[in-house]
Amino acid sequence: MKKLSKLLLTLSFALSITSSAFAVTVASWGGAYTESQKLGYGDPTAKKLGIDINWVDYSGGLSEIKAQKEAGAIVWDIIDVFAMDTITGCDEGLFVEFDFDKDFPAAPDGTPASKDFFTSMPSKCAVGNILYSWNYAYNTNNVKGTPKTIKDFFNTKKFPGKRAIYKSALTNLEIALAADGIKPGKGGAKIYKALETEKGVQRAMDKIKKLCTDPKGGCVFWSAGAQPPELLMSGEVVMATGWNGRFFNATVGEGAPIKQVWDGQGLDYEYFVLVKGGPDEANAKKALAEMTSTEGLAGSAKYIAYAPWRKSSIEVMAKGEPWYKDGKTNMVPHMPTAPENTKNYFLVDPIFWADNGTELGEKWEAMKAGL
Amino acid sequence: MSRETQKILTTDGIPLEESLKKAEKKNKLKAFLLVCPLLLFLIITYVFPIGDMLFRSIDDRMVTNMLPKTYKAMENWDGKDLPDEEVFEAFYLDYKKLVEDKTFGKLATQLNYEKNGFKSILKKLKRKMKKFEEGNYKEQIMGVHKRWTNVEYWRALKRRAPAYSYSKYLKGVDMYENEDGKIVQVPEDRRVHKILWVRTVEVAFFVTVLCFLMAYPIAHLLATLPMKYSNLLMICVLLPFWTSLLVRTASWMILLQQQGIVNDFFVWIGLVSDENRPEMMYNKTGTYVAMTQILLPFMVLPLYSVMKTISPSLMRAGKSLGGTPFVAFWKVYFPLTIPGIGAGCLLVFILAIGYYITPALVGGASGTLISNQIAFHMKSTLDWSFASAMGLMLLTGVLAIYWVYNKLVGVDNIKLG
Repeated sequence: MKKLSKLLLTLSFALSITSSAFAVTVASWGGAYTESQKLGYGDPTAKKLGIDINWVDYSGGLSEIKAQKEAGAIVWDIIDVFAMDTITGCDEGLFVEFDFDKDFPAAPDGTPASKDFFTSMPSKCAVGNILYSWNYAYNTNNVKGTPKTIKDFFNTKKFPGKRAIYKSALTNLEIALAADGIKPGKGGAKIYKALETEKGVQRAMDKIKKLCTDPKGGCVFWSAGAQPPELLMSGEVVMATGWNGRFFNATVGEGAPIKQVWDGQGLDYEYFVLVKGGPDEANAKKALAEMTSTEGLAGSAKYIAYAPWRKSSIEVMAKGEPWYKDGKTNMVPHMPTAPENTKNYFLVDPIFWADNGTELGEKWEAMKAGL
Repeated sequence: MSRETQKILTTDGIPLEESLKKAEKKNKLKAFLLVCPLLLFLIITYVFPIGDMLFRSIDDRMVTNMLPKTYKAMENWDGKDLPDEEVFEAFYLDYKKLVEDKTFGKLATQLNYEKNGFKSILKKLKRKMKKFEEGNYKEQIMGVHKRWTNVEYWRALKRRAPAYSYSKYLKGVDMYENEDGKIVQVPEDRRVHKILWVRTVEVAFFVTVLCFLMAYPIAHLLATLPMKYSNLLMICVLLPFWTSLLVRTASWMILLQQQGIVNDFFVWIGLVSDENRPEMMYNKTGTYVAMTQILLPFMVLPLYSVMKTISPSLMRAGKSLGGTPFVAFWKVYFPLTIPGIGAGCLLVFILAIGYYITPALVGGASGTLISNQIAFHMKSTLDWSFASAMGLMLLTGVLAIYWVYNKLVGVDNIKLG
């Protein structure tokens, strides 16, 4: 079976080489997310520039692009990546460094691109595309009362039942500390300061351990984004952390009895990077500028509840409400960046995780193994 | 008799032996050319990648070549206290060159594997370095970040000095070589690999046992029933075999979860109360159930093919010679099925030990196996050399089991059909 998959891989590799020779290839996460990108700004850009844009799926990480480079056959032009990967890839010379205000168009009112984006980029190679949230949600049928805060997620006395949390340490340690009484501070700085110390890490691990070993609580670990809403709907868990876009789809798209809680949410980002020496670097650069323009980024929010990076895109959306593709749902209140939703939040710190990810990952696995 | 007389000559005067050899040689060459494509295929897809993997897991030349001056200066350092100015200066010069070449990122990634927190202090050093004055680099570097004053980081740096090292293998069993050259265990809260190795072997072993216990009667039934029933049964065995692995894993999730069909049924017949539904998913039970079902055909098929060849008259003969049915089975039938058992168990065990997707989905907290950890280092941390080292340890384990099997049962006895 391994041989077969290898063969298929080679085949798909060969196919993607031949197909990408005439088009810009963008690698992204697939599913509803890629769909929103394709419909929101991919297709309009392709039409405007008169080029083809191919969307291919990948499952994250830099291993594939690194392998492509080592093999001397780069087939991707643009990749949708996490912050951590833009830093690593930029330092290792995999991606093109931008001259931000020159390479990306200003907002309609003339604000330069670097001011129009929510925060500065984690590396010179990154351009933001969406912000999403690690928040939690509950099934309104199975929970008595209304959980409102991140503390409620850990409160098994008031809200008994199992919880679903992400399989690795990322964001779990942060919410554990937020629920244990640490005020996140500006962008979560205080949480990360606490996590820099052994004591803080232990405190977070203990909090999670307590939740998972609590006879009234218990944990299910999810690995794929589709799992949290599914686990909530089947009644397997009463509360689940997850990505807000998935919860939104389940609630608004499918009418599931799920409600999101934004307190203590972790804001996380997705970025585009331009591959150095990609098959069609020049066109890819043009396409990237177009896709991340005000109109472009606003476009993808029509199809999914992830926030565009540009402030000006939010304005476009607010003027165009109801912005969701069904023509009756207002999108701005569902954005992770909406003022209502960002009263108590932290920004997932890529530099912290790039530094400590391996060690914390080991500690996390060791903790999980002892459950 | 002298040797001369023994020699038989062909008509053209050449000894027969030689002319035969000549003809043989041609044939041998032809045969070799015929198998050449296969040989090449094996070398390219099997020998070469595994060799490359082995090499990658011990090759540490990159870091060594990146910091030549530093390692030269470090030769005289005992590793007890912070190194001298000489080392700091050499490190500064090496690193400056890397920043100019834009390859410092690779160094940062590599050193971060060795000691967490290296990445950010190297980046900070890169930023601050532009303003460095000549001389007294020790103080200047130590002023960049307090971690530079921590001797642990310099020890970690020194550990990467040799061009080839087996440290990744040590890491694979939660050990490392400390500054005195002693091999010691990593701190207790980070010992994760040993747990995973034990768990992987344990899961693979019990899955094999469960598969064997379930497959043996099935295979026996298949082999002894009349054709028209056995064909139908065979389809029952093969149909799941042809169904996608993910579909089967997901169906087990639907069946076994706490609010799942099986639990609903238990509650309905009153076996358990609604509040006390047993947990059968997202733990080891789920892993065992799903993996056993998925790997069952790999046990049934070799057993069946062996049992099919056993004549039913042998059992009858055993019984008519005075054995009870059990004795006849145990003394006659069972030994004849051993080649099939061997093949099935080996197949299932080897597949189970490298199992990846099912444990990841249904295993929950206690379900991660070593293969998930390998994938994690392959994809997320990009520590390919560590992933290769663990992959090789897994491969060695499988080969060792194969060797033991060969000693106990003999590989020649394996029969797949």
